[in-house]
Amino acid sequence: MLRHVAGHMAQAVLLLLSVVVLIFCLLQLIPGDPIQAMVGDMPVPPALRASLEQRFQLNEPFLQRLYGYLVNVLHGDLGYSMNYRRPVFDILAERFPRTLLLAGVGYTFGILIGIAIGIQSAVTPHRSVDRAWSSLVLIGYAMPTFWVGQLLVIVFSIHLGWLPTQGMGPMVSRASGIDWLLERATYLVLPVATYTILETTRVARFMRASVLETLEQGYIVTARQKGLSRREIIMGHVVRNSILPVITVMGYSFGTAMGGAVLLETVFSYPGVGSLMVESVRARDTQVIVGVVILIACSVVVMNIVVDLLYAWLDPRIRVSSAQS
Amino acid sequence: MSVPQSLSRSRTSASRDLLRRLFRTRFGGVGLIILVVVSALSAFAPWFASSGPMDLGSPALQPPSWQHPLGTDSLGRDVRSVLLYAGRSSLTIGFCAAAMAFLIGGTIGALAGYFRGAVAAVLLRVTDLFHTLPAIIIVLFSVSLMGSSFWLQVAAVALAIWPIEARIVYGQFITLTEREFVLAARAAGLSTFHIIFREILPNALPTVIVQVSLDASTAILIEAGLGFLGLSDPTVPSWGEMLNRGQEFLELAWWMSVFPGMAICIAVLGFNLFADGVTEMFNPRASAVAPKLDS
Repeated sequence: MLRHVAGHMAQAVLLLLSVVVLIFCLLQLIPGDPIQAMVGDMPVPPALRASLEQRFQLNEPFLQRLYGYLVNVLHGDLGYSMNYRRPVFDILAERFPRTLLLAGVGYTFGILIGIAIGIQSAVTPHRSVDRAWSSLVLIGYAMPTFWVGQLLVIVFSIHLGWLPTQGMGPMVSRASGIDWLLERATYLVLPVATYTILETTRVARFMRASVLETLEQGYIVTARQKGLSRREIIMGHVVRNSILPVITVMGYSFGTAMGGAVLLETVFSYPGVGSLMVESVRARDTQVIVGVVILIACSVVVMNIVVDLLYAWLDPRIRVSSAQS
Repeated sequence: MSVPQSLSRSRTSASRDLLRRLFRTRFGGVGLIILVVVSALSAFAPWFASSGPMDLGSPALQPPSWQHPLGTDSLGRDVRSVLLYAGRSSLTIGFCAAAMAFLIGGTIGALAGYFRGAVAAVLLRVTDLFHTLPAIIIVLFSVSLMGSSFWLQVAAVALAIWPIEARIVYGQFITLTEREFVLAARAAGLSTFHIIFREILPNALPTVIVQVSLDASTAILIEAGLGFLGLSDPTVPSWGEMLNRGQEFLELAWWMSVFPGMAICIAVLGFNLFADGVTEMFNPRASAVAPKLDS
């Protein structure tokens, strides 16, 4: 098991390094003056040009530049944002926890509800229940993330006036303690709800399919012939075996959840890394864009390690084979 | 030339049989009808539109009426007309990006799944590399680097979604190569080519069709997001671009946002329902098993 973990960690580190290398190579493809591209659509003073040329070793051969870049990234030096006039690392450190809060809560709710709906939809003896859930899930799955957010804003903020439309807190807040937390929470309700709806539909789809597949297996027939009750079969055999493929999907859908942040944070003007990415693409602030891409890659890789470990722990076949090897 | 004739006859009856089976599934028939109708409406947009996508003749921000069933936008264009023409680019991106993703991802997944070992290790690392990044991030990154002309956009979307295709095909090949019939084919000494194309691929096909269809819907959603952020090709009207325009007028003119969003939703639903129908069609026992649990 320890070897299994270590192997996955090593792979993850390699994967991250190759993401950085890939990004570096892509950056070489930008047409025109690299310093201008790095700075964005802003005038470049000669002094800055000289210091950047020296810092990024622009006159050195490719491999040496790549090495220098990797060393910088590994030291947490992701460059300087000309748009925000701050180091990229500081901006990310400020904004990432917010995105993590939004995506993490929505993702967790979505998975739990999705698994429940998927099981219910697959094992229900009533065809109409399955049809109703499946139809809802399919419609939810087809709606663009940001459009769901917009519809919720139209209904709950503009029309009913229950919840704030955007931001992550009021401009001036007099509340403190629990009141402050509750105030913050009202700003989170709509974005988190949007997240949850989308994540739920994704998970429910996979879970339903997975449960249906499990129900066809021989061991379910055996369990039924042993006289186990419907409940025992579902909880003891079906759920555990059906969750395995869904877990793999969950790992990768964390990336999609992080990607969803880009659009969702823009709809709600939520100051996380997603809206940072969009602002930076608009301002052509390349250093920040690269920083966000690397950060999101890191978070997805970490999530995939977690999922791999979970998978190995849940699936005895992997546990045993890795112990033997 | 008598052989092709008889072949084609059996082929049409086979496809008719497939269609019949698709229409017997829960959603498959609905999905196919939606896809055909939406494609036809966009392809023959001039027949159904009252004006061109760039005609500014009408008063601006008119709510839906008999003359303008979906209202008019901030520039005084008939929303229905723009919607029909915009469908062309949105659907083209969906179809083309999915086809491209299938070619790249399918090939890589099949090679990795069949040959395993070192080949698979290398190919899967590359796939993981791309799959590590969320699709919209890859698309935004490439658009910010290369610009957002229409075909660059298609390529960017394909580049972002092929890893899913590769994963799915790889998974299919891994499971199927373990199956008895493939072992039997190997034992019988059939060629690798025969095993991949005649034994494994036909069995993987339903899953692959489902994934391509889902890819098309993902591509449409990504395009919508890109357009919404105002980063798609500004010269080509698309559903996402309409939503971007509507965002400003969310309180004044809900019809500018609601109808393009619905169009996206319907097109994506069409692809998803079709995918769902195909899944059910090739897995007919799935829906019949659940009630038996009660006995």
